[in-house]
Amino acid sequence: MNKRVMELKSVEVWDGNMANSQAFRQADVDVVAAYPITPSTATVENYAMFHANGYIDGEVMMTESEHAAMSACVGAGAAGGRVATATSSQGLALMIEVLYQASGMRIPVVLCLVNRALAAPLNVNGDHSDLYLTRDSGWISIDAFNPQQAYDMTLMSFKISEHPDVRLPVISNQDGFMTSHTAQNVTPLKDDVACKFVGDYLQVNALLNFDKPVTHGVQTEQDWHFEHKAKQHAALMGSKKVILETFAQFKELTGREYKLVESYNLENADVAIVCLGTTFETAMLAIDQLKAEGINAAVVAPRVFRPFPLEEVAEALQGLKAVACMDRSAPGGTVGALFNEVSGALINTSARPLMSNLIYGLGGRDMTVAILKDIFRTLDKEARDGKLSGKIQRFVGVRGPELSFYETQGM
Amino acid sequence: MNKPISEMGWDELVPGAALFTFNGNINYNIADIQPEDRMYSETSSKSMSVGDWRVLKPVWNSETCIDCQNCWIFCPDTSIIARNKEMKGVDYEHCKGCGLCVSVCPTNPKSLLMFNEYETTEDALAKWPEKKKKGE
Amino acid sequence: MSTLVNTQKEIKNLKTFSTAAERFEGSHLLCPGCAHSIIVREVLNATNDNLVVSASTGCLEVCTAIYPHTSWDCSWIHIGFENSSTAMAGVETMNKALRNKGRISADTPQPKFVTFGGDGSTYDIGFQWISGCFERGHDFMYVCLDNEVYANTGGQRSSSTPIGSSTTTAPAGSHSYGEKRQKKDIVSIMAAHGAPYVAQVAPNKWKDMVKKIQRGFDTHGPVFINAMSACTTEWKFAPNQTIEVSDLAVDSLVFPLYEIIDGRELNITYRPKNVIPVRDYLGAQPRFKHLFKPEYEYLIEEWQKRIDERWVFLQKREEIRM
Repeated sequence: MNKRVMELKSVEVWDGNMANSQAFRQADVDVVAAYPITPSTATVENYAMFHANGYIDGEVMMTESEHAAMSACVGAGAAGGRVATATSSQGLALMIEVLYQASGMRIPVVLCLVNRALAAPLNVNGDHSDLYLTRDSGWISIDAFNPQQAYDMTLMSFKISEHPDVRLPVISNQDGFMTSHTAQNVTPLKDDVACKFVGDYLQVNALLNFDKPVTHGVQTEQDWHFEHKAKQHAALMGSKKVILETFAQFKELTGREYKLVESYNLENADVAIVCLGTTFETAMLAIDQLKAEGINAAVVAPRVFRPFPLEEVAEALQGLKAVACMDRSAPGGTVGALFNEVSGALINTSARPLMSNLIYGLGGRDMTVAILKDIFRTLDKEARDGKLSGKIQRFVGVRGPELSFYETQGM
Repeated sequence: MNKPISEMGWDELVPGAALFTFNGNINYNIADIQPEDRMYSETSSKSMSVGDWRVLKPVWNSETCIDCQNCWIFCPDTSIIARNKEMKGVDYEHCKGCGLCVSVCPTNPKSLLMFNEYETTEDALAKWPEKKKKGE
Repeated sequence: MSTLVNTQKEIKNLKTFSTAAERFEGSHLLCPGCAHSIIVREVLNATNDNLVVSASTGCLEVCTAIYPHTSWDCSWIHIGFENSSTAMAGVETMNKALRNKGRISADTPQPKFVTFGGDGSTYDIGFQWISGCFERGHDFMYVCLDNEVYANTGGQRSSSTPIGSSTTTAPAGSHSYGEKRQKKDIVSIMAAHGAPYVAQVAPNKWKDMVKKIQRGFDTHGPVFINAMSACTTEWKFAPNQTIEVSDLAVDSLVFPLYEIIDGRELNITYRPKNVIPVRDYLGAQPRFKHLFKPEYEYLIEEWQKRIDERWVFLQKREEIRM
């Protein structure tokens, strides 16, 4: 625990960035190596301010680029201590090769990714393009829908990442601006409670342990590569167990319960959307309002994006008649990631809901309660008609003529 | 390590493909202990041999050698063994036959010369050239 | 003039040096005659301190850490091509953090942090990273293994490749004499960062090199060492000529040996008794053989002129102590 304790109120008013910064502070990170980029900048700035005021015993490295920030994190993590950083969008894209290196080398790192659109055109606002870019990077990826969850997830990320059965880096996601710059009530843990929850850093094959010299970052060719990637994948898939344990411990401590897949009103629903981020909470409002119209809708969101909770997602969507997978990222010539992964989850079950893919909210375009109500109404109609109302993939909320792709077949 | 690494499945490998140079923990400063007293693991390259890279090998003549250690410092393969400021010999497991030791040997005749791989040390020494006169 | 406390072991002569307990093992996959390993051995043997070493993607990294074998008898890390310097900066910073927090006891002697990178990594793709590390002032030594080419991938040009050298991406042909650009002056660039110590070394002049390495180890802050690495494979001379070619390089002043302290004071540390013509250096390496055709001979004259001018410049800087 840092020597200088910060007395927090029982309920603070924090935006998502401050939630990150406080979680870093309470987790007693040893080295934060970071580079500023909108909208994650304040995570780093707040932390630097804490450091300047004596609240941080660890080191702060302001590197000359995001690639350097993650490189320093990997070096420092391999040296044998707790590391963390934050970035978004272009910065994430710049450091992407190091993400693959970090996970391949099995170095625990926590990355607060404040989700922002990828250029071009340049856009500083929130969407999930950077989140999607990390899909195959081998990192555990968790999503927060509001500042309270940003704090909770970031704190838990350290515990999950450093667990001896995991030893994988973790991304703690939140929507750019919508969460990062929106101040809400956050109930934090006290410094000593948070520190105890995260626990001491466990050194594994540390470079600074001179009792056991170790070589990190080797080259493996066709005779070895497959085995090492297989082992890495097994660890990522197996981390589900540790994530669930950590969620359970956190619930004991705080009363706040988190699941691999979050849902709202699933018990009563015939139709649902699947989404990530702040859209979840907006959908909750739409769902409540639609009850008056006799529409029973639900929202389902993977809290844990990686390892993808395929079985739990499939389980959640059984018995639904129509599902719209809402992807907040430019789809790049195919259906969106959520549509792909959800459809893949359902294909080996008997459930066959009508499945559509909605592309929305790019570059911070607002997804409102009103639009969501329309989406649910469309789903409801599709469920009653027994067929999709249009093509499989549709752009929602863009000015101009209808933009939709992919015909259904034999339905 | 009980099983040789080549027989291990993905589940038995060290995470992150990390490699350990030595078996177990070491409780000494490596730089204070000569290699022959260290416990190398099978994953140290020292345990391997590259002797089969050679076509020619250096043979050392201890009679003419003055222990200048030129060969020791300029060997790229840590294959000149020096102990107590004396040249002890060539490590044929790790020598690639580059011939640098011969190039930098200052004695006349040289104390290291290249011979065919199949030549025995005795035969090579028997063929050792005489001291070269000036201008030869 | 910075006051330096010399804590490294005394290496009076080669016999004393040879008592070093090696920490770089054989049976790596470097070419026979490779100067990289001569340099690495000289650096590692110059100290008895604990070491953490990092390396960029390149000949050294690939040949000393192909699974399942490592040639390093010390902790070692490779992340990527650009970022060996930043990796080490991370290690050095973590060391600081753990000591401040008491998780490494103050009794534990401070290790030395050494990074190796080829000219590809140092001059080109990893340049920003090194610059950042030097600007932040991390306490580590960066050794550039300069063979003037991207050797590991088959000999493509780098910004360290000198004029007239034939490489695979700037080859000599009927319409070209090879590399058209001048070699980047990396030593001046790193000195301009205000680094406490930068130096150019060559492994054949081992005493000069080891003296500078030891000074580097005892310097607080970032140290940059540019080590000439004569490459038998890419410069295309026979493997047993590495030291001979290195001698030609330093004695022709193509690779002058000097140091710059605190970015200002320049000391020439080797003055050849007999300065040999640049032509002899170029002539020893088939990568320059096309320069000896009549239509390209003028390039050899330009080479000589350039080397002469630079020697004058170095001497002038040495005189004015700035």
